[in-house]
Amino acid sequence: MTAIATDPPMLERRYARLGVVLIAPTILVFSLVIVYPLLAAIYLSLFSIYTPTLQGEFVGLDNYAKLLTQKAFWSSLGTTLIWTVGTLSLQILAGVGLALLLHQNIWFRSLARSLVLFPYFLSTVVAVLVWRWLFNDLYGALNHGLMQLGVIDMPLDWLGSMPNAMIGVILVGAWKYFPFVVIAVLARLQTIPEHLYEAARIDGAGPVSRFFDVTLPQLRSVLTVIILLRAIWDFKEFDLLYLLTGGGPVTSTQTLSLLVYQEAFGLNRMGQAAAYSVGMMLVMLVFMILYIRRTGRES
Amino acid sequence: MANVTLSKVRKSFGAFTALEELNMEIAAGEFIALLGPSGCGKSTTLRILAGLEFPTSGEISIDDRRVNDLPPGKRDIAMVFQSYALYPHMTVAENIAYPLKKHGVKRPEREAAVRQAAELLQLEPLLDRKPKQLSGGQQQRVALGRALVRDPKVFLLDEPLSNLDAKLRSYMRAELIELHRRLGKTMVYVTHDQLEAMTMATRIAVMHGGRLQQFDTPEMVYNCPANRFVASFIGTPSMNQLEGRVEGGAFILGPDRIAIDRTMFRDDLADGPAVLGIRPEYIQIGRGPLQATVRLAENTGHETILTLELSEGSRITARVEAGSRHKVGQVLSLGLQNDAVHLFEPGENGARLNKEQTGAAVIPMRAQ
Repeated sequence: MTAIATDPPMLERRYARLGVVLIAPTILVFSLVIVYPLLAAIYLSLFSIYTPTLQGEFVGLDNYAKLLTQKAFWSSLGTTLIWTVGTLSLQILAGVGLALLLHQNIWFRSLARSLVLFPYFLSTVVAVLVWRWLFNDLYGALNHGLMQLGVIDMPLDWLGSMPNAMIGVILVGAWKYFPFVVIAVLARLQTIPEHLYEAARIDGAGPVSRFFDVTLPQLRSVLTVIILLRAIWDFKEFDLLYLLTGGGPVTSTQTLSLLVYQEAFGLNRMGQAAAYSVGMMLVMLVFMILYIRRTGRES
Repeated sequence: MANVTLSKVRKSFGAFTALEELNMEIAAGEFIALLGPSGCGKSTTLRILAGLEFPTSGEISIDDRRVNDLPPGKRDIAMVFQSYALYPHMTVAENIAYPLKKHGVKRPEREAAVRQAAELLQLEPLLDRKPKQLSGGQQQRVALGRALVRDPKVFLLDEPLSNLDAKLRSYMRAELIELHRRLGKTMVYVTHDQLEAMTMATRIAVMHGGRLQQFDTPEMVYNCPANRFVASFIGTPSMNQLEGRVEGGAFILGPDRIAIDRTMFRDDLADGPAVLGIRPEYIQIGRGPLQATVRLAENTGHETILTLELSEGSRITARVEAGSRHKVGQVLSLGLQNDAVHLFEPGENGARLNKEQTGAAVIPMRAQ
C-alpha cells in the first residue's frame, strides 16, 4: 500500500532532478556572461576607477550624481532616441513596403527575396566602408549623383556636419537592418488566409481598404514584437555608429553606447562609464518590460 | 430575386481544364446545389460566379446583366466561405456591418441592419464578441449574417456546413432551408455531401471532371440518373451496377437471365453489352431467379444493408428491414423489382437507356 502511494512522487522527484541537470549548463553560461558582468558593472559604478590599472577608490553614488547633474548623459540619451526613432521608423516603412511587394506575384520573386537580405548579412565593417566611400565629400558617389540631378550645387559634407551626419547614420542603419523587418513581416503575410481577402473583395473592399482592414490588423502583433526588438537593438547599436562617425562631428552622433566607450577607454574613467551603462540599462528596461509583457500575453 | 445564367463557361488553369463548356440557367429564387466529388469543378463554378476567378471563355449574367467584367464587390452577391472568413480583429457587429460600410451605408442604417440580421440569426447576445470567442456554429451564423445584411441578389455558399459536427450540421441544414424560404433569394450552394444537396436544393447540378452531368430536381437526380456516374454518386449505399448483355427481353448476367420490360427503355436499345442498375431498396429477398450468398450484414438500427455475392461473382447490396436475421454465408434467392430497373450504356460514364420517368418505382421525397 505505502509503496504504491509513494511511487509517483519519487518518480516526479527524479524527473525534477533531471530537469535541473538539463537546465544547469544554460544557467551557468547565463550567469557567467550576463549576471556576472551586470553585477560587476553595478559594483564598478560605485568606484572611481582608472581603466589601465583597474585601481581606484570607493566613491559611493558620486558617479550617479554626476550622471544626473552633467549634460553628457542626457544629451547622449537625446541623440540615442533621435537615432533609434529615426532609423527604426525607416526600417519599418521600408521593411513593410518591401515585404508587401515581395508577397506579390512579381517576376524574379525568389531572387529578389534572397537579394533583399544582403545588407543584413553583410559585415558591418564592410558596409560602413562602402557607405563612407559613397558619402565622401571629395569623390563620393552620392554627392556626384545629387549634383548630376541638380539637387545640390556643391558637394555636401555628409558625415562631418550636422544634421547631415545624423541623417547619414540613420539612413545607413535603416539600410542595414530593414531586411529583418522584411523577413518577419513576409513570414506573417504568408500565413494570412486568402479567404479573408476574398471575403473583403466580395464585401466591396478595394486594395487600400483590404490593406487597412485585413493586412494591417493581421500584422499588428508581429509589428509590435519587431518594433520592440529592433528598438532594443538600435538603442544599444555600437559598431555601425562608431565606424561611420565615431560619434562626431564633436558629439552630435554620440549615442549612449559610444559615450560609455569614450568614458571607459578614451577618458579611462571605468567607474563613470559603468554608471552610464547602468543608466542606459535602466532606460532599456522599459522596452524590455514592454516586450516581455507583450510576448507573455501572446503565449 | 435574380436569375443566374452561365453560358459556355470554360475555365482552364494552364494545361488543366477545370470546367468544360458549362451551361446553366438558374431561375430567380431557386436553391441550387452544386454537387460532386473533389476536383469536379463545383467550387470553381461558384468562384467564377463570385468574380474571384475569371472564366477562360463564356458568359456569366446575374439578373440578366452580364457580370464578366465586374469585380466581386459590384456583382451584388454575397458569399459564405467554408472557413467562414470572419475578420478576426472585428467584433461580430463590425463583421456583419463591414459590407455595408464598404458600400457607403450610413451608420444609423448600418446599425439597424445589423440588429435586424442579428435578430434573425439569434446573434444579439454575441454582437460585441470577437470571432475566436464563438463556437463553430455561431461563427457560421455570423458569416450568414454578413452575407444577408447586404440584401444581395444572389447568395453563394461554399460548403458552409462542412466544418460543423454532425448534429449541428443537421440543425443548420434546417435553418438554411427555413432561411431560403423566408428570404426567397436565389442561392447557389456548393457541397460534396449528397444528403445536403438532396434535402436542401430545389435543383441539383451534379458535376464530375469539369462537366455538368445532370441538372435536375433531387427526385429526378435520384430516380432517373442521367448516367452511371450520377447513379453511383447519388444514394447511400449507391446503386448496384451489373455488367452484362441485353438479349431480347432479358438481361444476361453470367449464367442468369433477368427478364426486362423493353417498353421501359428507349426504342433504340439494341441487343449487346449493357449495364443494369438497381437501387438496394428494390432488391427482393426470398423470391426470384437469382441466387446469392450473404457476405456481410450491416445493421444500422433502422435498416440492414446486406452485401450479397451473386453466383457469377459480382457483389450487390440490398436494403432490408432492420431485424431481418440473415447470416453470413447463407444462400438466398432474390429478384429485382422489374419497374425499378435502369439500363446504362457500358463504359465508365455510360448514359442511361431508360425512357424518361421510368425506373423510379416510388418517389418519396421532401416537397420543396
